[in-house]
Amino acid sequence: MPSRRRTLLKVIILGDSGVGKTSLMNQYVNKKFSNQYKATIGADFLTKEVQFEDRLFTLQIWDTAGQERFQSLGVAFYRGADCCVLVYDVNSMKSFDNLNNWREEFLIQASPSDPENFPFVLIGNKVDVDGGNSRVVSEKKAKAWCASKGNIPYFETSAKEGTNVEEAFQCIAKNALKSGEEEELYLPDTIDVGTSNQQRSTGCEC
Amino acid sequence: MSMEASELQDLSDDADYAASQQQGSASMMRCDSEKRSSSSEHEGAELIYLKDNVAIHPTQFASERISGRLKLTKQDSTLYLSWTPYKGQTSNAKLSEKDRSLYTITAVPFTEVRSIRRHTPALGWQYVIVVLSSGLAFPPLYFYNGGVREFLAMVKQHVFLARSSEDANVFLVNDFQSPLQRTLSSLALPSSLPVASGQSSYPSDGGSSSENQGRTSAGADNRVSQYGVRKQKSHDPTRDLSIHLLEKFSLVTKFARETTTQLFSENNGFGSVDKRWNNQPVHNYPEKLSNIAEEKHHESSHSYPEKEPLYDEEPPIDLVDVPADPLEFNKLSLVWGKPRQPPMGHKEFTAFLDSEGRVVESKALRERVFYGGIEHQLRREVWPFLLGYYAFDSTYAEREYLRAVKKMEYATLKQQWQSISPEQAKRFTKYRERKGLIDKDVVRTDRAFEYYEGDDNLNVNIMRDILLTYSFYNFDLGYCQGMSDYLSPIMFVMEDESESFWCFVALMERVGPNFNRDQNGMHTQLFALSKLVELLDGPLHNYFKQNDCLNYFFCFRWILIQFKREFEYEKTMQLWEVLWTHYLSEHLHLYVCVAILKRCRSKIMGEQMDFDTLLKFINELSGHIDLDSTVRDAEALCICAGENGAASIPPGTPPSLPLDDGILYPQDDDVL
Ligand SMILES: Nc1nc2c(ncn2[C@@H]2O[C@H](COP(=O)(O)OP(=O)(O)OP(=O)(O)O)[C@@H](O)[C@H]2O)c(=O)[nH]1
Ligand SMILES: [Mg+2]
Repeated sequence: MPSRRRTLLKVIILGDSGVGKTSLMNQYVNKKFSNQYKATIGADFLTKEVQFEDRLFTLQIWDTAGQERFQSLGVAFYRGADCCVLVYDVNSMKSFDNLNNWREEFLIQASPSDPENFPFVLIGNKVDVDGGNSRVVSEKKAKAWCASKGNIPYFETSAKEGTNVEEAFQCIAKNALKSGEEEELYLPDTIDVGTSNQQRSTGCEC
Repeated sequence: MSMEASELQDLSDDADYAASQQQGSASMMRCDSEKRSSSSEHEGAELIYLKDNVAIHPTQFASERISGRLKLTKQDSTLYLSWTPYKGQTSNAKLSEKDRSLYTITAVPFTEVRSIRRHTPALGWQYVIVVLSSGLAFPPLYFYNGGVREFLAMVKQHVFLARSSEDANVFLVNDFQSPLQRTLSSLALPSSLPVASGQSSYPSDGGSSSENQGRTSAGADNRVSQYGVRKQKSHDPTRDLSIHLLEKFSLVTKFARETTTQLFSENNGFGSVDKRWNNQPVHNYPEKLSNIAEEKHHESSHSYPEKEPLYDEEPPIDLVDVPADPLEFNKLSLVWGKPRQPPMGHKEFTAFLDSEGRVVESKALRERVFYGGIEHQLRREVWPFLLGYYAFDSTYAEREYLRAVKKMEYATLKQQWQSISPEQAKRFTKYRERKGLIDKDVVRTDRAFEYYEGDDNLNVNIMRDILLTYSFYNFDLGYCQGMSDYLSPIMFVMEDESESFWCFVALMERVGPNFNRDQNGMHTQLFALSKLVELLDGPLHNYFKQNDCLNYFFCFRWILIQFKREFEYEKTMQLWEVLWTHYLSEHLHLYVCVAILKRCRSKIMGEQMDFDTLLKFINELSGHIDLDSTVRDAEALCICAGENGAASIPPGTPPSLPLDDGILYPQDDDVL
């Protein structure tokens, strides 16, 4: 077995303040939701072990502050990312409109070697709010955006109820791994992502 | 409103804000006669561009601006940026040569420049902000005679300059490089500085004859070899000091000694305090008198009294030798840091007031608070003084009058947003966005703390009202995350909406720049912190340098909200009142940063933490830092650093007030 394979996958979560980045990360890693998370200041990350076939990877998930003013910090945190997760709140048009910005900003600051093919995943969060009645961004609109950016995988989640969070992150991990693969000549053809296959949305197209 | 539009909107706000901060600028800089040909001319470098009267504004005080000469030079197909202050501006008394040389930019290669932001406000001067790849930024360079466009055009002729798609005023330098290329090009430079033997490992800096060779660029040392042979006679004050400190085992620098003399000569100096409190159980500071030079790995075993795993874990055995602390920190705080006193009570406070309620000796009061804090019940009476809302020399009656007037003023301000109808709000994007942000944040601020607990908590609503009112009071600054963290303890202490608001306003006068759109206030402080670490722990500084940690972003949260997230609620209030006394320094919070970092130095270096690991480590220190010993350490470091420490902190660095506003807050502390 080649021993010098990479085992750390770095994922960055971006999106407007309050869309639920911290909540999503904690739901995925710690399986819990609290409405006492504080607004993120600076940046932090959590790690989680994920298994693909017989290999263990450490997923390092970076959670950054959403307010525009703090974006200049990004350069220190985005470096070396393997996948970027864009999050918006389905109940807020502005958070959706800002996605372009987040994507561009990431590409500028992280300057990945192959920006065209850098893996992004889009998450529309807070689908639980008001039973979906206060929703302002339709699934169709979100998917159209994804298509226009080179078929970005799309998930709709509720960090509060845990809906679809696991699925989204499995896709994220898989994409991160794929992006790392180019540098290491090893490509698993199947990925053991656990149990659930049903996905509410477009799902993972990779 | 599309994002692009709102972004532009934000920037124009920014320019306005900057311009509005420049008022009082009637007196233009003197035309500097004594333009010495720049000292840092390196052999064989070709001069590409030269611009006179390019200035740095360390403070908003007109007489403190530093004019200088901006140059582009080229050598071996690399373009370099330099800025040298003119000599002999002796008319401004407040700035020493040292202060000014602090800003000198010595031949920074454009390979280390990430971007240049251009500001061409309609009012006021054009300026540029140069941001390095490390994330550090130089202070704005003001072009008094215009010419930003020409400057950029010149740069563009020599390096790849691309306009950011996000922001037409940002020019990205060498953005075509892939990360791999970047790595390769940085490998080509000899970055193999000898690891801190404690002796300075700074490469000598470009100058041959210059005395003002302050090294401004944090990440710029790699450039050394590109100039070929270097003269070893560089003159870097911080470097000298490190060596000096190392050699002077006594730890007592000239400056520190002077400072002590002053401390001793005060009424409530060491002697009396110690006598007064010597039967208190204050000596909870770890007493082990060990020399870490001998005991390399064991420093952390006697760090903080509480057995906290984060500090106390022994670093694994197989790890590298950690360079010794040049200050012998452990001894240091025993020598210098004074034990904390019990908090000041009501009776004691009243003794500071004359019959009409004036604080007779504000310095003595601040000293008292510095060394012991304030009993909680009393805080609401003393905080307004510390924050500068009440003048120390105001009487009871004047304060009562002030409260009444301010209450009305607050109500008027609050009315401004309260009177916005839903129809109007529809057409007022900026208001809606702000309100949205504030609404989201107040429900995420200290909700586990009793005072803000539970659904429909009234205090949460008051917090929202105050923040929204503030964003109208200071519309240019607006609302920024972190502000709610500052407001929360103030509300808890003041228990009055209007009073809380005005205390918050006073606090923002000082820390508001932390939230500026261009993040300049934060960059200045992070920069000052890096200077202080360089001064007070050369080996640790070198370690950060070698591990790409010089941007100090891992201390971002500490500084942005003055450790609010690092201590429990009560402890935060204790720390804040100590910081707000500005007793030893206005920038004690930076020494607190150094103190904590030094406490962890052997762990950081022993475990060879990289940037990510370090950031995580620092974040997880939250809740595990012992306040009293940290403050003592910070005090010790501050005294030890003395004048050199003060000189490492550029004038005007937040939370300093702009000097011409000094009336608000008597600055009679001439201790440092
Ligand atoms: N109903 C509902 N609320 C959510 C959901 N996810 C997050 N929230 C709430 O939305 C608010 C913001 O969530 P955070 O996770 O702190 O948002 P963030 O994106 O990390 O925000 P910043 O740290 O400011 O950038 C909090 O009050 C959460 O409780 C969700 O799926 N459903
Ligand atoms: Mg967050």
